[in-house]
Amino acid sequence: MVASQSQGGVSIRGLRFRYDRGFAIEVARLDVAAGEQVLLAGASGCGKSTLLHLISGIESPETGSILIGGTDMCALSGSARDTFRGRHVGMVFQTFQLLQGFTALENVMLSLMLGAPTLDQPRGRAEAALERLGMRDLHAPVERLSVGQQQRVAVARAVVTEPSVVLADEPTASLDPANAEAAVELIRSAARVAGAALVVTSHDPALRSVFTRTVDVEQFGVAADTAGGGAAR
Amino acid sequence: MSGGMGDMTIVLRSLRTRALATSVATALVAIAVALLLVLLSLREAASQAFRRGTGNIHLLISADASPLVAVLNGLFYANAPANPIPWAKFKEIEGGFPWQWCIPTQLGDSFRGSPVMATSEEFFTDFEPVAGMPFQFSDGRVFEDAFEVVAGSTAAKDHNLQVGQKIVFSHGSGGSREAGHEHADHPYEVVGVLQPTGSAHDRALFTNLVSTWVIHAEEKRAHETEAPATDAPTTKADSAAASPTDAGHDQHADHEHDQHHDHLHVDEADLRDDEKLITGILLRIPTRPGSDSSASIAAQFDRMRRDVSITVAQPAQQIGRLMALIGDVDWLFVAMAVVVLVSSAASIMLAMVSSMELRRRQVAILRVLGASAWRVFALAITESTLIGLLGAGIGFSLALIGGQIATTFLQDRVGLVIGGTVDPRSAILVAAGAVVLAALAGIVPAVKAYRTSIARHLRPLA
Repeated sequence: MVASQSQGGVSIRGLRFRYDRGFAIEVARLDVAAGEQVLLAGASGCGKSTLLHLISGIESPETGSILIGGTDMCALSGSARDTFRGRHVGMVFQTFQLLQGFTALENVMLSLMLGAPTLDQPRGRAEAALERLGMRDLHAPVERLSVGQQQRVAVARAVVTEPSVVLADEPTASLDPANAEAAVELIRSAARVAGAALVVTSHDPALRSVFTRTVDVEQFGVAADTAGGGAAR
Repeated sequence: MSGGMGDMTIVLRSLRTRALATSVATALVAIAVALLLVLLSLREAASQAFRRGTGNIHLLISADASPLVAVLNGLFYANAPANPIPWAKFKEIEGGFPWQWCIPTQLGDSFRGSPVMATSEEFFTDFEPVAGMPFQFSDGRVFEDAFEVVAGSTAAKDHNLQVGQKIVFSHGSGGSREAGHEHADHPYEVVGVLQPTGSAHDRALFTNLVSTWVIHAEEKRAHETEAPATDAPTTKADSAAASPTDAGHDQHADHEHDQHHDHLHVDEADLRDDEKLITGILLRIPTRPGSDSSASIAAQFDRMRRDVSITVAQPAQQIGRLMALIGDVDWLFVAMAVVVLVSSAASIMLAMVSSMELRRRQVAILRVLGASAWRVFALAITESTLIGLLGAGIGFSLALIGGQIATTFLQDRVGLVIGGTVDPRSAILVAAGAVVLAALAGIVPAVKAYRTSIARHLRPLA
């Protein structure tokens, strides 16, 4: 599969984000090359999800820049950032976050409709993405699907827009080890096929062996009392 | 949108997943819209029925206490006028101005509760019960002779009257204690049945004046010969001055009417002027073609108003006054319906706000997939607007059905003929109002959707 025009990975510089309670994370420099697959590891609560949310533009940093495919997320206005995320960032959640009341196919098509409305043949693309991941019943409401099937829909939804980067937040946390391995493999191969960089967060040490590169997020943590000026806010 | 998915799909799916809340909110809007439309259309129809009911008359003369009473009695058959107008006065008024027409009327008798109006043939040829729409016969013809009767459409239907049938009138209006007193020896023959006009005249029956005069003259003379010893001059004076209907007979209520008047026969030629009593005069002033008004109306009104023995009314003006009087009351009903509409909008808001708490996760997902905050704001507004549209549509249908039922009811029970349709302008206004209110009701939940923090609502439920 030919990678889309959305080439280029993630490039973080001088990032600082402070939580309400004063605790902060600071990332001086972090690069994920186009097509590279990285594991963000660390104990629960160390800021893995926050870092993922920052990369996706869901959260805004205090300072710093996050370049995705050369575009600085942090410099974009609110709705431009939403549009950019829809087009260039695919997200997979621990609890899948599928839209209830919609079918598997509709969930994937929604991603195209909201994130990449300029792509042609949205229905064909959505069907192809689901079938490639082994989904058969495309017209079943998602709430009736098994956990494994829901995971496939969630992954298909993340990669169908041919994003620059796929972000997966604790994708194995609610799965047993056998299924966890299969799930990670599913996401990795889907990202590879889509030509997207992949950033996965997990507190599960077992995944370290699967990824060639692991970044320990705990190193980015800054304790509340040293988070300069943070108490003022 | 391409592939059959669009923002509307999201909105419709959202409404469907909350089917109960959607139905309740829609039903509330529908009820409020229907209520408002029915009230407005009934209000309009009732006022129209009154306004139309004055027909093409310019001035009405009676001896009633006030112009409004004169109109209600003379054109809407509210009561039989209590005071008569002498024939000489009619002649004086008739000759006092070159009227387009001048029609005498006399009310007092009834047939099983339906009023009987004695009048002249011009009532059918010149007077139009609804301006521009003259009387038309569904069967038979105008009365040409004494003791012939023409029945209004509702009266004919209520009493099953057909041409050729013989009927007997009662003295006084049906409901009174005198209802039993019948003019039994003077049966009338039905010679015509009118088509519905949508005016109060549909409820009445019509005869010529001579018939009524003859009957009452015979009865009066019979009473006079029955009781010659009693203080005759006083009685006679009283009777002449009083109504040809009530007052005169009340005095003799204790007389035995069944064995009465031994065929004391009175012909038209025998009638004395004091026996030719009428209770109203309908007048129309000549106008230019295509115009319904003339400067002479006001001039004649002012001239005749100086005559204290009569009451002069401009019916259109009196109905306007009546509507102004009752207008305040029925605006109360309209105000209540508006309150219902506003509260239904509030219920939409409540339903959406409470569900918005649950749907924040859905909003967050849409945002992750690339929907801007404005877009989810618009989705929420669209959702509430759709409820308003749907409710307005259903309410409009309900109002049409309700209007039909109300029309039938009013026609059967009250004899008020009204159009059962909803006035399109008020329908559009009310529907637009409902939609706007519903859209406004969507603002609060839409703001909540707009402000939803994506990160917070995407955290897995612990």
